[in-house]
Amino acid sequence: MSERLLGIVIDSFPKILLPGLKMTIPLTVIAFAIAMVIATVTALVQFAKIAVLKDIARFYIWIIRGTPLLVQLFVVFYGLPGIGLVVDPFPAAILVFSVNEGAYCAETIRAALEAVPVGQMEAGLCSGLSYLQIIRRIVLPQAMRTAFPPLSNSLISMVKDTSLAANITVTEMFMVTQRIVARTYEPLALYIEVGLIYLLFSTVLTKLQRIGEKRLNVYQKQQGV
Amino acid sequence: MIELKNLSKAFGTLEVLQDVSLEVAKGDVVAILGPSGSGKTTLLRCMNFLETAEKGTLKFDDEVYELAHMKKKEMAAIRKKTAFVFQNYNLFLNKTALQNVMEGLVIGRKIPKKEAEKTAKQALDKVGLSDRYDYYPSQLSGGQQQRVAIARAIATDPEIIYFDEPTSALDPELTGEVLAVMQTLAEEGRTMLVVTHEMGFARNVSNRIIFMENGEITEQNNTRDFFENPKNERTRAFINKITN
Repeated sequence: MSERLLGIVIDSFPKILLPGLKMTIPLTVIAFAIAMVIATVTALVQFAKIAVLKDIARFYIWIIRGTPLLVQLFVVFYGLPGIGLVVDPFPAAILVFSVNEGAYCAETIRAALEAVPVGQMEAGLCSGLSYLQIIRRIVLPQAMRTAFPPLSNSLISMVKDTSLAANITVTEMFMVTQRIVARTYEPLALYIEVGLIYLLFSTVLTKLQRIGEKRLNVYQKQQGV
Repeated sequence: MIELKNLSKAFGTLEVLQDVSLEVAKGDVVAILGPSGSGKTTLLRCMNFLETAEKGTLKFDDEVYELAHMKKKEMAAIRKKTAFVFQNYNLFLNKTALQNVMEGLVIGRKIPKKEAEKTAKQALDKVGLSDRYDYYPSQLSGGQQQRVAIARAIATDPEIIYFDEPTSALDPELTGEVLAVMQTLAEEGRTMLVVTHEMGFARNVSNRIIFMENGEITEQNNTRDFFENPKNERTRAFINKITN
């Protein structure tokens, strides 16, 4: 590696990492948190078979899963201003990422809810608990344990998908990298560099997933009796 | 205390229960016997509304309810006065033994936590699990889990406890420890309705037997007459088979 290239790579590192910390991570964290709320509600109305709401849930999932994320970003950011709805890049990205992720995670959580043995609900009813109390205290916690690994998967996936936000002028890591490439003409080294930074973020999340699973495993651990 | 009249239940076109009527008086220990598939479990589940019967009435504490048209409130009210012990325990998997017993007290019945904890511990002590308060179901043997389930049932001091084949998932040794607990409860005068295949328990602990076949009650008798002087021919054949 030439001295010039090495200089560019080292020089670029903080320049790429900074928008990562300031944009990519907040975007992921906020959007994923909202997505979790959307997903849980969407899964629950289906699990509880609430009329109308469950149909709305199916419709929402059908639309979102059936169209590309990039198209959804463009519709919101470039399309909506056409009918007078101008959304800033960052809120637009939050909106699209959370609504998009919510649809996928809703299916994960729904499957996990359905995997909880029906006896848990019956035992709850016979113990004098109400349906909602059983959902909140017994069924949902167990479902979340089941859903945790696939949800972590979705989160890691989302960290990388945020690079698409560059397309709607959010200055996150990927856009900053593109700009440096345009100035220095070193695409190979720089794109690998930004890839490694994404890898770094994902690795941290993978570690967090391990820790989380261990904590959630507490009631599944087998111990000698 | 409980009077069930003309209960009928079908799954699709399959008639599982036809015109079943029975009575349970306070302090009764009634064993429901009969071959597999005769509708014993479904009968018990209908009585606690885990299945909806098509026809029949349930008299509980002098109130008569149409089983096919129960209101949610009525179901909840009756369930709070009863308890159910399942074949496969159905302990709350995300809760410890103590939490399992406390749940129905604190959340279901709004009993203050301190008081509930005391009651729950007493219940667990009674079933011989004073050293297992903080164990999760996955850390307990089948027999221990079923004893936690029994503690969960008695902690709420129900008017009747329904047992649905409480020992059929257990090996003989563990069966013994669960039956011993149930015998203690019977001796204390608890009202119990027990679906079981344990003839020893039926014979020695229960005071009445209900024999079912093909969704119908073929004989209801006190325990001694049931075993020594059965009225029904089919019952006689059954007794002969199990005693020989």
